[in-house]
Amino acid sequence: MEFLTIPCICLILITFVLYYLTKSLLWQRLILLAASVIFISYYHIAFLAVALSIALFSFYAGKAIHKYKDTAKTSWLLASSIVLLVGTWLFFRYCSSLFPLGISFYTFQALSYLIEVYWDDEDVEDNLLDFLLYMLLFMKFLSGPIERGFDFLPQLKKVHTISYKKITEGIRMTGIGVFMKVVIADRLGPHLDSIFNTVRDASGLQLLESTLLYPIQLYADFAGYTCLAIGIGTIFGFKISSNFNRPFVSLTTGELWRRWHMSLSFWVRDYIFVPLTASFRSWGKWGIYCSLIITFVVLGAWHGAGWTFIIYGLIQGIIIIYETAAKKYRDRVQHSMNKNVCSFFSIIRTYVLFAVSLLFFRIDKIGDVFYTISHLFRGYNASWSELRIGMSDYNWEILGVALLLLFIYEYVNSKRNVFSLLDRCPVVVRWCIYYLFLFSLFIFGCFGVENFIYIQF
Amino acid sequence: MTEREILDDLQQIIGHVLDKSDLCIDGNTTASDVDGWNSLTNMQIISDTESHFKIKFKLREIIKLKNVGDFCKIIQDKLDSK
Repeated sequence: MEFLTIPCICLILITFVLYYLTKSLLWQRLILLAASVIFISYYHIAFLAVALSIALFSFYAGKAIHKYKDTAKTSWLLASSIVLLVGTWLFFRYCSSLFPLGISFYTFQALSYLIEVYWDDEDVEDNLLDFLLYMLLFMKFLSGPIERGFDFLPQLKKVHTISYKKITEGIRMTGIGVFMKVVIADRLGPHLDSIFNTVRDASGLQLLESTLLYPIQLYADFAGYTCLAIGIGTIFGFKISSNFNRPFVSLTTGELWRRWHMSLSFWVRDYIFVPLTASFRSWGKWGIYCSLIITFVVLGAWHGAGWTFIIYGLIQGIIIIYETAAKKYRDRVQHSMNKNVCSFFSIIRTYVLFAVSLLFFRIDKIGDVFYTISHLFRGYNASWSELRIGMSDYNWEILGVALLLLFIYEYVNSKRNVFSLLDRCPVVVRWCIYYLFLFSLFIFGCFGVENFIYIQF
Repeated sequence: MTEREILDDLQQIIGHVLDKSDLCIDGNTTASDVDGWNSLTNMQIISDTESHFKIKFKLREIIKLKNVGDFCKIIQDKLDSK
């Protein structure tokens, strides 16, 4: 059940009414769980069976790890649980024709919960209903964000009462998400797909243009989805983690990964990178480099089968190793230049490197990726129509204005909360802005593009 | 060693790793308060601290560190139990 479809909107509305009609915590939990079960099984009943099995297994594994705390058994229990969860994920990823949606996300949630219980950083969850909701809650089920138990489980322990502030905040966040998805991502998507699916038919300029535009499409698509998840979560009284923090202003690739898909980046940092660097710390810098390579290869492989994803991760690791090793040299260069000029070039460099590495993420065949990279600067006698990659002038204008508005919104939001500023406007102005925004969505949105990109992971 | 002495030594170690000679920290300082103290430099700080005080941290101890105060306390506990 996609977010932007009639069945999903109906499900959310019915759940909303029932959820706030009751003042009982138990009924609120049951209503949310019922909505999540309908949401998941709408795709395939098998998806629900797999998700429920993994959730139940993790719940009882957590209890067992806690029960045998401070005994030799606990390490064995954790290790076997990790092997079983990762093994299940690997089986569905590589050996099964059926890939349950959301499995990569909720498996990572289950792993983090069990590791935190083992590390004693998290209390074991005693309420099965709460744990099932932590794992299956519909607004974050398909593509995260990957929530940590200690952040999310306490939110399930209290009755949520209806709040005008939260509902308006949630609706506004949902609106931003819809804007990013239907006005930006889905406007670009079909045209970039046609180039990337037939790279050998495209000119060099078209390949270069598509390479540079793809990070924007991916960002608008995935950050749009995240805004929807956060917005719907806010409407139901939950605080869902942010996944993006203006990634395209990053000065380095290391910084970009602290701003891009943050719930996954921080997950691999806490449960893979930190334990690895701790184990390899006697190797000095080489220990950090080794840990970086392993961490990013795992991060790449998490996205899917095939060498392209491994290479995608490997490239990130290599760039961050270079940035770490050459830090003193880069600092010297920075001091010898004007700070703003240096920052500008650093942002461009980071963006371009990321855009090129994303070719391994986007294009299925490794041969086609190398073809694209080797042809980025060939065939520059393209005509104006070729340069438009199939998009009309009207679409280019809408895209340009939408991107400008998005970046202004993000810039202002990084300084002051835009929603608070909006709240201070006179009510007439505020509602004019809402109506203008709503009409813009319907007029300029591209409806009918089915899936979010990250749903496949 | 007193907590103050440990803090002074830590300040030097962290300043050396992050290349900040004028670094000033206290017990409440966290990694996010110091520019450049991130997951990449953190383990180098841990490793240099271990060499300096001739102690060894467990993974669980490293993960549980929340601020410089925690760091000083765990160093002091290890030095006391030597």
